[in-house]
Amino acid sequence: MNYPDWILGFPGGMLIALIAIVHVTVSHFAIGGGAFLVVTEKRAYGKNDTAALAYVRRHSKFFALLTVVFGAVTGVGIWFTIGLVTPEATSALIHSFVWAWAIEWVFFFVEITSAIIYATSWDRLDRKSHMLVGWIYFVAAWMSLAVINGIITFMLTPGKWLQTHNIWDGLFNPTYWPSLFARTALCVLLAGVFGLVTIGKKDGEARERLVRWSGMWMLAGSILLPAFIYWYFLKLPKFSKTYISERMIYVTHALNSGYACAALIGAVTLVFALWKPRWMRVPVVVLLVVASLGLMGSGEYVREFSRKPWVVNGYMYANDIALAEVPVLQQDGVAAKANFLLTTDTKSMEYGENLFTLECGSCHAVDGYRSMRQRVKGWDAAFATQMVAHLPMTKGPMPEFAGNEADREALGKYLASLNPPVDYGTITDANRVAVGAQVFAVHCGNCHTVNGNFRPLRDAFTNSTPDQVEGLLPMLDTMSTNMPHFDAPADQAQALAVYISTEANKSLPNPPASNQPGPPPGVK
Amino acid sequence: MTINVQVPSMDPMPLPGPVWLMTGLLLLVFTLHVLAMNAALGGGMWTLWNYVRGKKPEHPNSRRLAEELAKMLPIFLAYTITLGVAALLFVQVLYGRFLYSSSILIGGYWIMVIPLVMLAYYGYYYVSYTAVRGKSRTGLVAALSVLCLLAIGFIFSNNMTLMLRPEVWLKMYRAHPNGFNLNLHDWELWPRYLHMMIGAVAVASALLAHLGMLKLKKDPEYGAWLVRRAAAVFAITTGIQFLDGLWLLLAVPRDVAMVFLRDPVAGTVFGLALMAVIAAVMLMVLGSMAEQPNSLVYAGVAMVVVTVFLMTGMRHLLRQAYLAPYLDPGAVVVKPQTSAIVIFFVLFVGGLATVAVMLWKLAKYRKMQGAAGAGEMTI
Repeated sequence: MNYPDWILGFPGGMLIALIAIVHVTVSHFAIGGGAFLVVTEKRAYGKNDTAALAYVRRHSKFFALLTVVFGAVTGVGIWFTIGLVTPEATSALIHSFVWAWAIEWVFFFVEITSAIIYATSWDRLDRKSHMLVGWIYFVAAWMSLAVINGIITFMLTPGKWLQTHNIWDGLFNPTYWPSLFARTALCVLLAGVFGLVTIGKKDGEARERLVRWSGMWMLAGSILLPAFIYWYFLKLPKFSKTYISERMIYVTHALNSGYACAALIGAVTLVFALWKPRWMRVPVVVLLVVASLGLMGSGEYVREFSRKPWVVNGYMYANDIALAEVPVLQQDGVAAKANFLLTTDTKSMEYGENLFTLECGSCHAVDGYRSMRQRVKGWDAAFATQMVAHLPMTKGPMPEFAGNEADREALGKYLASLNPPVDYGTITDANRVAVGAQVFAVHCGNCHTVNGNFRPLRDAFTNSTPDQVEGLLPMLDTMSTNMPHFDAPADQAQALAVYISTEANKSLPNPPASNQPGPPPGVK
Repeated sequence: MTINVQVPSMDPMPLPGPVWLMTGLLLLVFTLHVLAMNAALGGGMWTLWNYVRGKKPEHPNSRRLAEELAKMLPIFLAYTITLGVAALLFVQVLYGRFLYSSSILIGGYWIMVIPLVMLAYYGYYYVSYTAVRGKSRTGLVAALSVLCLLAIGFIFSNNMTLMLRPEVWLKMYRAHPNGFNLNLHDWELWPRYLHMMIGAVAVASALLAHLGMLKLKKDPEYGAWLVRRAAAVFAITTGIQFLDGLWLLLAVPRDVAMVFLRDPVAGTVFGLALMAVIAAVMLMVLGSMAEQPNSLVYAGVAMVVVTVFLMTGMRHLLRQAYLAPYLDPGAVVVKPQTSAIVIFFVLFVGGLATVAVMLWKLAKYRKMQGAAGAGEMTI
């Protein structure tokens, strides 16, 4: 609420993701590739392999051009975008970890210097010194990962830091080691993949040998990665595991594409790199690079998403509002606290829209990405206003709404304005269950299923008649403070009751396990 | 200046190190960043001019200079970025609430810095690879890279002036919440931008005078040509800087500019900077005009570096004066992360030593090769 909200028209997180995915891919290659260069150089000297030596010289130029320029500048790009999109979180991170970044900067400085020297001094250094520069590069590059890994993992598993605010507790947090090992495995894998890029087209025994050599790196990375990822998974917070294992369709998609990319890389490695290296042609290399981007992208997406609704777990929400700020904003209202509002007329639609961009816009677009228009279909202003008070109970990982009653009303009015009112038409015996299903989707489906996995109502309503269900509807908000008041017209209430009763009494081959997720993280 | 302007409140987290230490580091790395930037941008202009001029056979020195400089440009830019990152770290922790605000207000342009710097960087690499062979596009690419850097400088000047003007933020935000704002209405923007850009040419010229001195021994004609030319450009651009500096001082609001009169530290830094720059011009001119350029040029270059450092200090004091109504030093809570600070300094020294070892290895090998080469010739 301190800073102006950069209104891009789409969630700013997408901009960060776009830059981060390419940066992360290149920067992991920048580490593994460093080791790849020196080890290949050493082998070439040892075996007096002139073809390998010519290759590694060529590869070092490509390596420097890709990592020193593109890798480094996209890294700065992440700094720029996080400052623009989540300034509060960036400020919190810089206040906690500026010395960690300063330490990382020393390694970065050594890294850039040694990369430039390594790539340009093939004829200006003796072999031993040249390899020494290569090793200096690799150690500096890996150390910069070792530092940054602490900050990235901190955001998901801050561990003891939440109590102590101690820099070392933050850096060496519960997922630090598994993440560092998993990332190192990725570095090895990507060293092999990018090693193929400069391998050249000229057929022959030397080329096949070099393809196999790259393949060995890819194989090593592919074998190590799953084990470390599993270790990482074991250390994740419970809520992250829940998202990953069952609840969120987005995470499931990302996980599946990640598995697919990894499997593809593994298969291509076995067939095209190790078994028939002659078949490793340009299209296959392109496929490998694309699959690597896919693998990195999926991995980063899962890691980011499994942290939601947080940007720093337990400290700050993804919409850049600190947990400690929420009660203040709920008490005083956004208009009293925010420095940069487009309007302070809390009754206006513009104010509601402004609240949407401020509090929801970091993860939701009106249309398109996690479309809000789709999610609030059928909501009227009164119902939307109530729903805003119960966000953490919804299926998605949502933070509490940080605002007072007037803010909720303004946001509710805006959300309701995104769709025309629903007209269910005349409800007859023939369409009653179908309409009931729609009413359920609007009024109950945000937080419940009947026979599904997410807070199923089956147990509560087995053996209930429609009349009994309908009798309960006016009392929902008195039964639980987590439920909104139900105030749809009588014919819709009746249709809803018939639907719930019918569904709950349906015989099922596998009735759902009673799964009542506790309150989401951070909600006391 | 009105004080009921809303600025973001201080981060609830304490500062992780003493203000003096982080300010000192900021001034140090920013000075180094400016020197590298000057070499990259001013050096790029020198390369471009001499590349075009050197196409004519009657200017072999220009051709040679362009070829030599072209190879250095990507390295200058590499260190501009690397040192800029360090400055960005400390400016964020000290002035984040001002910098984030202004960055967001110009976000649409601010983010363009990234693709622009990438374009300039790859352009410089292209120039470094092709300058000797003289591809038809080399000059065009060099010009494009320089233009990108000039544009980046303009975006930076906008941000650095806007972060000092909280009173215009809200109006600006409401005009374009999508971040397509520029600080064009600020009188200070233009002289300040010019000051940085002309300064880049001046400082790069001083560094080239230094390069010329190094060449004197092996190639007196070329060395002397470079020293004289560079010193002349340095003197002329510095003269223009005087006028522009005057414009800049007049453009700064009076109550802010008064800091150089009222505050003894600020006044001293101002006076020293003025003396340093005058000394630099005199040394450079005297040293280069002699029959054979002499070591006064080195002293002149050293004074230029001192001037840049002092100017960085002035810029800092001006920033403090601008933001004085919003800063409350008494309210700043400092909780130094002592162990991390110590580790940083140990690693910093270790990092410098590592770089020194690598450079030493390069120098040793060059010497050895030179000796071996001489040996071969005798056979």
